[in-house]
Amino acid sequence: MCEEIKDLTPQNPAVVFSIKIGKVSCFTSFDPVPEKTFIYHNWFHRDDPSTKKRLTLQPPRWATYSTIQLRETDKGPWRVEISDQNGNLLRILRFSITD
Amino acid sequence: MPFLELIRWQDVVDILLNSYILFRLYVLFRETYVFRVLTGIAFLWIFQRIAVFFGLILTSWVMQGITAAVALIIIIVFRNEIRSVLQAKNLRLILWGFPKKSVPTTIQIIVESVKALSKRQIGALIVLPAKENLEDVVQGGIPLRGLISKEMITSIFWGDNPVHDGAIIIEEDRIAKVGVILPLSYKNDLPSRYGTRHRAALGLSETTDALVVVVSEETGKVVVAKDSKITDIGSNAMFTKILQEHMGIHEDENAYQQKEKFKMSIAAIISVFFIIGIWFSFSKGLDTLITLEIPVEYTNRNPGFEIVDASVNAVRLHLGGSGALIRSIQPEQIQVKLDLGNAVIGRNIFSITQDSVTLPPGIFLRKVIPSVIEVTLDETIKKEIPLQVDWVGELPEGLILSEIETDPDKIEIIGGKRILGNISTLYTEKVHLDNLKGTGTILANLALTPAALKIAPGSKDKVRIVYVVKPRPK
Repeated sequence: MCEEIKDLTPQNPAVVFSIKIGKVSCFTSFDPVPEKTFIYHNWFHRDDPSTKKRLTLQPPRWATYSTIQLRETDKGPWRVEISDQNGNLLRILRFSITD
Repeated sequence: MPFLELIRWQDVVDILLNSYILFRLYVLFRETYVFRVLTGIAFLWIFQRIAVFFGLILTSWVMQGITAAVALIIIIVFRNEIRSVLQAKNLRLILWGFPKKSVPTTIQIIVESVKALSKRQIGALIVLPAKENLEDVVQGGIPLRGLISKEMITSIFWGDNPVHDGAIIIEEDRIAKVGVILPLSYKNDLPSRYGTRHRAALGLSETTDALVVVVSEETGKVVVAKDSKITDIGSNAMFTKILQEHMGIHEDENAYQQKEKFKMSIAAIISVFFIIGIWFSFSKGLDTLITLEIPVEYTNRNPGFEIVDASVNAVRLHLGGSGALIRSIQPEQIQVKLDLGNAVIGRNIFSITQDSVTLPPGIFLRKVIPSVIEVTLDETIKKEIPLQVDWVGELPEGLILSEIETDPDKIEIIGGKRILGNISTLYTEKVHLDNLKGTGTILANLALTPAALKIAPGSKDKVRIVYVVKPRPK
């Protein structure tokens, strides 16, 4: 999790983000990628689904990210569940949005 | 609703049981001072109830105080009498036996004394006057006025006693005189076995209506002289009968028993009426109402099930009963229990009935609100759930919280299957960022919601958070 992506590089990776930053991004990198496929970034605020992003992966390796804009009501614990196109859970990233 | 319909079988048992207890108290304590004082207390209590009925506040208050004080005093002052009744008598006697009259009568004492004198062959002369005055007939004598007893009579006629040769005169229950000289009979046809005592006894019986008892010093035989006749005494029963006839006591044992039975019956009837009176005084004003909110207790729940939801936690009970009982009611005495023995996983509907509510005696259930309760049950399972820290506040400027690690990273939780199925993350209580200056460690508690969730035995209930704080790159 990072504050922003600049030149395909995550900036200021952290586990707590201030709402003042206005956005937060989930950066994922895959190596190798045997064939063109999809992954999903499922964003949850506490246990409530917030958004689900479908991202394309291209061979031979691929980095991709999703970003959400932050509102005042978004404070609290978050998690992003990263799953493959078949719904298999690959990773869970946890972070918090605070003041 | 007719009043009699309100009387339950418990009330009948209540009245009968307490009547019997009261009756037993009478049987055990009658003819003692304790009983007289108890009777006094009972009258005080009745007086107090009457005062309450007529609204005499001060009088009823004073009566209540006096009754309480006297009840306490009776236990202290008469502790020996109470102890002797409760200790000396066996359980059968206390519960349903009828103690024989233990105070010996004058006749019994005379009979027993004469028996003892006869056995030891101690000569004796006992005068029992009737209506005629003996003053002009007898001579000498020393006034004694002592209460009659077997020991006293035996010792008077003891050989070394200076007055043993004379007669004693018994008036009512006292030995009026000792050492009295009686007029001798001038009869010539007396049998040779009779000595001076017999002649003296006959002499008095010839001139007065007194009865004289003689115990022979030579043979120990007992005779009585009355109306110029000497009668040999063959048995105690015969002696007793002669004495009773002389004293004008005509009732025999059967008559006495009949009289006792009659007394007991009257006492039993009075006990029943007295207790019925008390019962009515407590039951008066059955229209008194009270509303209490009582928590619902769930019983017989399958250990594998858990209550995840109930439409209410407490119900309002509208109760009726006598004013006295309603005023003394304590919420702890009332229970509302729902049997979950037949409940299934999911929604269950229960009606609160009379059987669900436990009430003190004499209190009636009028209404329950709500009368129906919905209870949702779930199967209890264990689940290992990942942990996440719930950060709040603001990190000091120029710092980034770049990494954290929790120990443990998962916690095993026990709870309802449906609840745990919807929970994928367990959060800590709120942890403040404001004071974080550098890398460090914090201990945090778990925020278990809903409260029905429990940490499984063996799992930690606190979370150790190791965090890494770095300066924000320029």
